[in-house]
Amino acid sequence: MSYVTRRLLLLVPILLGVSLLVFVWIRALPGGPAQGLLGERTTPEAVQALERQYGLNRPLYVQYGRYLDSLVHLQLGTSITSRRPVAEEIRRRFPATAELALAAMAVAVAAGIPLGFLAAKRHHRAFDQLSLVGSLLGISIPVFFLALLLKYLFAVRLGWLPSLGRLDVTTDIAHPTNFYTIDAVLAGSPAALLDALRHLVLPAIALGTIPLAIITRITRAAVLDVMNEDYVRTARAKGIARRLVDRRHILRNALLPVSTVIGLQIGLLLSGAILTETVFAWGGMGTWIFDAVRFRDYPVLQGGILFLVIVFVLVNLVVDLSYALIDPRIRYR
Amino acid sequence: MSLSEAQAESVGAAPPAAGPVHPPTGLWRDAWGRLRHNRSAVVGAAIIGLFVLIAVFAPLLAPEPPSSATFLERLGGRCCPGPSAAHWFGIDELGRDELSRILYGARTSLLIAVVSVSVGLTFGLLLGALAGYLRGIADTVVMRFVDILLAFPSFLFAIGLVALLGPGLVQIMVAIGVVNIPVFARLLRGSMLAVRESDYVLAARSVGVPPHRILLVHMLPNALSPVIVAATLAMATAIIEAAGLGFLGLGNPDPSVPEWGTMLANTPRFLQSAPHLAILPGVAIVLSVLGFNLVGDGLREAIDPKLRT
Repeated sequence: MSYVTRRLLLLVPILLGVSLLVFVWIRALPGGPAQGLLGERTTPEAVQALERQYGLNRPLYVQYGRYLDSLVHLQLGTSITSRRPVAEEIRRRFPATAELALAAMAVAVAAGIPLGFLAAKRHHRAFDQLSLVGSLLGISIPVFFLALLLKYLFAVRLGWLPSLGRLDVTTDIAHPTNFYTIDAVLAGSPAALLDALRHLVLPAIALGTIPLAIITRITRAAVLDVMNEDYVRTARAKGIARRLVDRRHILRNALLPVSTVIGLQIGLLLSGAILTETVFAWGGMGTWIFDAVRFRDYPVLQGGILFLVIVFVLVNLVVDLSYALIDPRIRYR
Repeated sequence: MSLSEAQAESVGAAPPAAGPVHPPTGLWRDAWGRLRHNRSAVVGAAIIGLFVLIAVFAPLLAPEPPSSATFLERLGGRCCPGPSAAHWFGIDELGRDELSRILYGARTSLLIAVVSVSVGLTFGLLLGALAGYLRGIADTVVMRFVDILLAFPSFLFAIGLVALLGPGLVQIMVAIGVVNIPVFARLLRGSMLAVRESDYVLAARSVGVPPHRILLVHMLPNALSPVIVAATLAMATAIIEAAGLGFLGLGNPDPSVPEWGTMLANTPRFLQSAPHLAILPGVAIVLSVLGFNLVGDGLREAIDPKLRT
């Protein structure tokens, strides 16, 4: 069986297990879904009527079957607090979180790999030591604290960048994709694009710092490892230009462990997005799910969490498959 | 003449080895020796030690109790006075002495870190050792379950558990502990499997060392070393996750038990007038996390010197 088929088949039990866990979790929450839908001040009769209406009095396996059926048909119910369909909310909010996470990852990769590479090239010198201290600080700082610090310094104190939201209230463009940067490009408005980017800077730096620190460390270690390989010495001995050796022989081989680590950061980004979105009032999945926890908005919790977990699982799958592409050895394990 | 003497004699003819030859000591003694000479690990240990002292002696060190209903009066309607001679770290929005609350907060954070990592370690090790030792169907069942748990982003998982269990100190420790279980389970299983195939286990088996001795003396200490490193680093993560839960308002609702993350929860509103309220508890979090990360890194290098770069 090919690696891809095996990996895809493995997805089925994981997704079933995840859906079962979320299903059980919702039913185990204090008060239960019917109570949650009706709020605190309700009568037992009303709860019973609602349980009958939604089939919550049926045996659990019947309920789970119906739940799976509704998932397959993408019927995720309606939010109690906003009265909007959960699927529609996800369409609106997921791009916000994805835009933030992608921007954070871009910051982390674009800065982390060169920093790690330079640190390794200047092994044991000041820059190397500085990168070690910096990356250690980076993994030790909670994302929400960094977000608060950045907001205080660059938004409140210096007033250079906006502190809340995704766009200025005066910026009015259509949102066909809900990725505001893409929307601005589609609308052909450079002003809107600049505005969207300005809003993105602080949250992306806050969210990207931990992955940045980790990527810097791993790149440095990987480059140090590869630098002493025989094939690098051979390449140098052959008289290949230093730059070419750096790029083709060292960096290309060092990037393999780095790509693994980049894949592992995705869960961290989704978790961190909840906290970052809270600080910057970013209207994404994070703030939405967090509010749902506070207001016991069961349909949102059920649909939103399941959606995020499925995204997480699928992204991990893509990452795994891409390693197999980069490193053929993985396919034969 | 014993075997080692005979060896010594035969080596005697060879040219002398460069540098001093140390007698073999043992995995942990070697590791301890290397750890003591690792400057950053020592700094990390000192930071942790300082926080442990603060946590233990908080009632003696803190100028005031962490909360009291009468404190609100001294605010005089303005929020919130910054550092002064009477209140080194200023006063928070309820008139409480910030320094006292940070000192008492060390108790909460360290307690959460120790208990939650212990919970995760205990159950994770049981599951991991079970899977790695029994193999077969038990291994498959445990590891598929672990796969499902790891499919959830960890902080989202913790939020879900706190929503389930309700707010409170014990609930947070359980939630963070449970999130750690699959991580430790997978780690120990993997390292048991790797150790099982190693040359020294094969060597021990070939000279007739009994299986229980192989398991306890040869396999477990070697398989545990990555787990010990991970546990130290997990303490750092536990402090950050607990603070994150507190920041979201899912922390301990009891105001007399200060927690650093919860202290930060209200600060976005006072960022302009009282930035010290946002900065100081955050610095406490960063320092304590840094301590565990430094020791964790040091341990990793001490246990496996090959990793040192």
